[in-house]
Amino acid sequence: MEIPVVRNILEANEKMAAHVRRQLSGRNILTLNLISSPGAGKTSLLERTLRDLAGEFRMAVIEGDLQTDNDARRVAATGAQAVQINTDGGCHLDSNMILTALDSLKLDGLDILFIENVGNLVCPVEFDCGEDAKVALLSVTEGDDKPEKYPLLFNLARALVLNKVDLLPHVDFDMARARSFAAKLNKDLSVFEVSCRDGAGLEAWYAWLRKMREAKRASSADA
Amino acid sequence: MAIAQSLLAMAEEEIARQNCTRLEMARVEYGALSGVAPESLHFAFEVLTRGTPHESARLELIRLPLRLRCPFCGAVFGGEGQDALLQPCPGCGEQFGHVVEQGKELLLSRLEAR
Repeated sequence: MEIPVVRNILEANEKMAAHVRRQLSGRNILTLNLISSPGAGKTSLLERTLRDLAGEFRMAVIEGDLQTDNDARRVAATGAQAVQINTDGGCHLDSNMILTALDSLKLDGLDILFIENVGNLVCPVEFDCGEDAKVALLSVTEGDDKPEKYPLLFNLARALVLNKVDLLPHVDFDMARARSFAAKLNKDLSVFEVSCRDGAGLEAWYAWLRKMREAKRASSADA
Repeated sequence: MAIAQSLLAMAEEEIARQNCTRLEMARVEYGALSGVAPESLHFAFEVLTRGTPHESARLELIRLPLRLRCPFCGAVFGGEGQDALLQPCPGCGEQFGHVVEQGKELLLSRLEAR
């Protein structure tokens, strides 16, 4: 027999993501989902951010990797709470994994939760983790046409962090080209050129985090 | 693989509702931007149905081309062979801010079962 149906295949994940979002928003926690290729510097950006803003915000990190808890240990060394998810080959985090990870975190009084997704520019974009915003990272040792090649991430992200700018003199990365591609895909994208190595440009990224944190507080107060 | 798992779970739920036990065909419509790799999805579906009552089920994949709308002049464009999200509006030349009208879908749209 024929069964006509129209169902979103990702609906199970999206329902769970909505549940995660309600839980986190109920506690007024700003949640950011960091997405990049492997090696763009997600963990380095978190290490700097967690250290530099430790006096200002209470922050926690959910780390996603195929194997090892290396990243969770790096992040925990800053004093922030960290929980590692090993996907055992899975190429992205999904909202069910986030829900499980939340059990291992003390959420009371938390200001910002970072989700460091598995390094991949495709699947993590598809799976909503219940975040308030996606943040894309791209390093200048990659191609400047990444936004054009993987458009959906740059279309959906609220911020783009261009990392490793201290290496610009040594690589062929065309910053104007990358920024122009990204801006065409998303006119509301906030773009930050930073070096997690020497700290350049991080102040602007921190200012954005403060603005997002404040907006979250204001929206929770309204609700 | 995650997509194939969700799809099968959903198909099993729907056919059970019709008192069927064996899936014969599942049709999936996916947008050009949805990140679906058809070969991989076929492969994952085959692996997951092997040794189950759905072993001989067919997976039918229909690709939905990208359709963009220009927020400035209202032109709708894109279509087969024009899957770049970055393309100037053919109406007014505007390069920024196009709205994706079609291309992000991932839908189970039809099942056949016994």
